[in-house]
Amino acid sequence: MEKDRSRKYWNPYFGGVMLGLVLLAANFVAGRGLGSSGAVKSAVVAAVESIAPAHADASPVYKEFSESHQGHPMKSWLVFEMVGVLVGAFLSGAWAGRLKFRVEHSPKITSRRRLIFAGLGGIFFGLGSQLGRGCTSGAALSGMAVLSLGGFITMIFIFGTAFALAYFFRKLWI
Amino acid sequence: MTEDLIVSGRMNHLIDPVLEVWEWQIPSYLFLGGLAAGILFFAGLTWLRGKEAEHPAAVRRAPLVVPFLLIFGLLFLFLDLKHKLYFWRLYLTLKMAAPMSWGAWVLLLITPLSFIWAALYIRDMIPQWDWRFDFLKRLEHFFNQNKKYLAWSMVLLSLVLGIYTGILFSAFNGRPLWNTSILGPLFLVSGMSGGAAVVVMLSRSHAERHYFARVDLLMIAIELVLIIHMFMGFLSSTQTQIDAARLFLGGDYTAPFWIFVVGLGLLMPAILEIMEMRNRKIPWIAAPILVLFGGIMLRFIIAFAGQESHWIL
Repeated sequence: MEKDRSRKYWNPYFGGVMLGLVLLAANFVAGRGLGSSGAVKSAVVAAVESIAPAHADASPVYKEFSESHQGHPMKSWLVFEMVGVLVGAFLSGAWAGRLKFRVEHSPKITSRRRLIFAGLGGIFFGLGSQLGRGCTSGAALSGMAVLSLGGFITMIFIFGTAFALAYFFRKLWI
Repeated sequence: MTEDLIVSGRMNHLIDPVLEVWEWQIPSYLFLGGLAAGILFFAGLTWLRGKEAEHPAAVRRAPLVVPFLLIFGLLFLFLDLKHKLYFWRLYLTLKMAAPMSWGAWVLLLITPLSFIWAALYIRDMIPQWDWRFDFLKRLEHFFNQNKKYLAWSMVLLSLVLGIYTGILFSAFNGRPLWNTSILGPLFLVSGMSGGAAVVVMLSRSHAERHYFARVDLLMIAIELVLIIHMFMGFLSSTQTQIDAARLFLGGDYTAPFWIFVVGLGLLMPAILEIMEMRNRKIPWIAAPILVLFGGIMLRFIIAFAGQESHWIL
């Protein structure tokens, strides 16, 4: 019974509709779309501002952030949303009996290889999210939901690039 | 010589408009003290109920942590003192109406008790332990024979210690947020919840973990009731207390309090514990860690928000 549950996933189309409804609810409740890289940025800004305030004052990146965001950088909707995401994901994993420490990877590669490439991919994605003013959630998903042209372009290029480069990295997966 | 008659804590220097005196030391100490009280309470009570064999973590393992909790707690308390070298003056007087006096004396009694209880079970941790001197062996024998009195004093004194960690705030009428008698029981129950969480963390038996998870669930339920009543009390009181409550109902502490204390520290572990009882596979360490996290946050938030709450309309 337990095992069955842990292998039973939602239909992806149904999951997509539900994600859309979450976005709708976020816009309705918080007046803002969803996002994730923004929370990481808040954490980075907060860390730099408290460890190296002189650097934060001098750098245009941090200056721009503090000018456009009032109050403490961690006191932002996205930071709390991310806390909620972690809590919700944990509860959902607990509900389905999937809470285990493990690295999920293709059987043909090692866990170490998977983690190194995940780290590399994360770095590129973080870099890209700063260039594109948001990640898949903030720029593409939330942007497209309000018919922002930038959102569509971001989405096309995130998935387009992935499609174009998939051939070269296929051995990491299959 | 002019003589001042102090009729209110408000007459103290630095009270109005906001207090900026207590930093991390006091809330950290209150957390450690409350936790120590919780662990000792369950250790004494479980032993008195004759359940040592069933709940070894509560009676034997968890109390081994307490001396360290109290050592660090007292160190933090000491660090907070302005005139550190005069701390001993607390022990030249006993003021029934002063919570600090109660606290100082209770700590003086319960700290050695916790050392003795831990010493009686030290072989659980270090099996080849040997008391070098004969008089220590005789002492061990003496305390083993009189364990009943030891356990009773531990239960009673830990209740006093647990309540005192809250009364330390609530007796201080200089701050409207602290000036509620609910803080005593709230901090006591929160400390007990932390104690049960530590037992769950240290237990090696499934049955004991489940039992203390249930105990913890009860404590969480009581805490929620107390928090609700605390706000009901504030909101039906004077304008200054209504303002104090507003710090948590739309003010600066709304998000940290409701998310970290109530959400992550109370509701989330409660949900996890209920799920675990229904035999969902959950890492059993998650709920106790959240409970302890909530306990720390509760004390820090009440300490900081309390200093900000004021009497000026």
